[in-house]
Amino acid sequence: MRSLLLAVLAAYLIAAIHSILAFINKRRSVQRVAEWATVAGFIMHTAALGADWVIDGHYPLFSLREALSFLAWALVLVYAVVLYRYRAQAVGAFTMPLISILTFFSLLIAPGPTDALPSFSATRLFPIHTTLVIFAYAAFFIVFMASVMYLLQERELKLKTFSAIFYRLPPLTTINEIATNAAVVGLTLLTFGIATGMFWSWNRYGRMWHNDPKEIFALLTWLLYLFLIIYRSTASWRGRRAAWLGVVGFALVLGTLFGARYLGGYHVFG
Amino acid sequence: MSIILVGVNHKTAPVEIRERLAFNDEACADGLRRLVDGEVVREGLIVSTCNRVEILSATTAEQLESGAGRLAQFLDAAGQLPAGFLNSYLYRHTDEEAVRHLFRVASSLDSMVVGEPQVLGQVRRAYSVAVEAGTAGRVLNRLVHHTFRVAKRVRNETGIAANAVSISYMAVELGKKIFDSLKGCTVLLIGAGEMAELSARHLVNAGASRVLIVNRTEEAARQIADEFGAVTVPFERLDQALAEADVVICSTGAPTYVLTEAQARQALSRKRNRPTCMIDISVPRNIDPAVGKVPNVFLFDIDDLESVISSNIREREREAERAELIVQSEVMQFQQSLRLMDIGPTIGAMRENFQEVARAEMARQRKHLGVLTKEQETAIEALLLTTVNKISHPILNQMRRFYESTEAETVPDEQDIFKLEE
Repeated sequence: MRSLLLAVLAAYLIAAIHSILAFINKRRSVQRVAEWATVAGFIMHTAALGADWVIDGHYPLFSLREALSFLAWALVLVYAVVLYRYRAQAVGAFTMPLISILTFFSLLIAPGPTDALPSFSATRLFPIHTTLVIFAYAAFFIVFMASVMYLLQERELKLKTFSAIFYRLPPLTTINEIATNAAVVGLTLLTFGIATGMFWSWNRYGRMWHNDPKEIFALLTWLLYLFLIIYRSTASWRGRRAAWLGVVGFALVLGTLFGARYLGGYHVFG
Repeated sequence: MSIILVGVNHKTAPVEIRERLAFNDEACADGLRRLVDGEVVREGLIVSTCNRVEILSATTAEQLESGAGRLAQFLDAAGQLPAGFLNSYLYRHTDEEAVRHLFRVASSLDSMVVGEPQVLGQVRRAYSVAVEAGTAGRVLNRLVHHTFRVAKRVRNETGIAANAVSISYMAVELGKKIFDSLKGCTVLLIGAGEMAELSARHLVNAGASRVLIVNRTEEAARQIADEFGAVTVPFERLDQALAEADVVICSTGAPTYVLTEAQARQALSRKRNRPTCMIDISVPRNIDPAVGKVPNVFLFDIDDLESVISSNIREREREAERAELIVQSEVMQFQQSLRLMDIGPTIGAMRENFQEVARAEMARQRKHLGVLTKEQETAIEALLLTTVNKISHPILNQMRRFYESTEAETVPDEQDIFKLEE
């Protein structure tokens, strides 16, 4: 599986480099290479995840190694949707490097013995919970990136500097729409993700809430994005401030995803 | 075959010279028919625009010099100028240089404003005139088609035409950086100046659906409004119009600010803070610069527009460097294909080969002829060679004519021909 994942990493790296090059020199041919490399990487990645599932006998989203790899895979999918829907190629220059890094780190971590898996990971609800949450994080990453792009482009327009960024980023309203839609999708996924987690926990332990750091972070994240969406959807256009919220919100997402590991609690696996 | 290009352009000749040489389509066709004689000048094409007059022609490699002279004479005569008058203004390019020049012209790399789109259409027109006049033969056909391909490649693969370089188009350009589409946008013109009108026209072409015009004298406003199907708004209702506009173009002759920060804030809150692009092309400025500080208002004055334009020009120039590389590689490709098209070397090789056969036969039969004087020997050899030449000449000529009348991609080389016989 490792060699297949190495090939995946190679494809993502090619895609990342070409996305950045395409961002710099705006060549369609370079962009095409980036897109095809992404597709190739994604297909291999899907195969690798599928093979993992079959060989290890459990859903390939449990340990940190698996979570990173799965998150990378989810991000590719989300990025593809954004690219298809908005033709915003600039997104690739920001997303593909991160996807490569995630894949790289998941390769760095040696796979642990499979028998160490707690039995509960085999229940049906558990993978649904983790998958929903991972996709929510991927969507929030898109919110974060679109927010950064918004702030950059807004700055260019206000200060009238017209640097390279001005020519390469999509129009303000497009970026704003990407951020808003991604936030709605992310929040919906997170809501269902938290709900399935609570339901699962209720079934198993008879309680929904463990006061675990990850749960608290997740709740904060949920509240923040809820606020962000309400804030955005009120009658007024809030471009800039909403964009700042999108940036700050992502810090919470990172906290939920990684920070909680260091604070202990029952949500720490692998 | 060789290609010659002789002409003048905006860099080498002042307008007084260029206007004397300019050809309209009719003069172009007439001139071409007179110029192309099938001997020295075998094919011809005239590109005549306000910035250039160029004659492109095909001839044989041996007649390159006289051909170029003929073209220069032709231009002198066309401008009713004394012979040789144009020499200091003319440039002459042959073969590779001529091909490169034409590629650069059609790709708009040689234009006054790099990337302007008209020149390709002008080359296309020149070509169709030449085709109608019957002066575009296989070399020019091929060259011009290749030229279209190069121009298309340059346009598609580089951004030399990507960013606007005129003030009136800037509203569209900046609008597109704020709104994903200008479709359905409302444009407000404050003042009914010519530049504002032109900008509005571009915006409407880009999809803007409504144009409002506010002007102190309503008559001038109405005049423009009629042209666009726009709506005139009395000056007192400026604030209301402002609240509806996505793009505002301001160009009045007023000596003071027509639009203040307070007005802009009020308008923005009425339109729920949706982004607004404001362009002030008047001098002195008519929109208070403080308006630019209002959130979601993006204000540009004439200097800002100039600075975008100059950065767009720089961007185009960077792209032009890439375009030159494309042109370079295409020139090499074309030269290669032209070489394959040239029957000349094959015919030469065949003639050599025939003569070789005659000499070999002579050597083989020499011993049966006994003792001969030097003169007799030369006479026999001459007899053989002239016979071979005289027999083969019409055949080879026929062959040349045949190839030149077809659009064959390549000609067989002499080895291909003789291999068949072995």
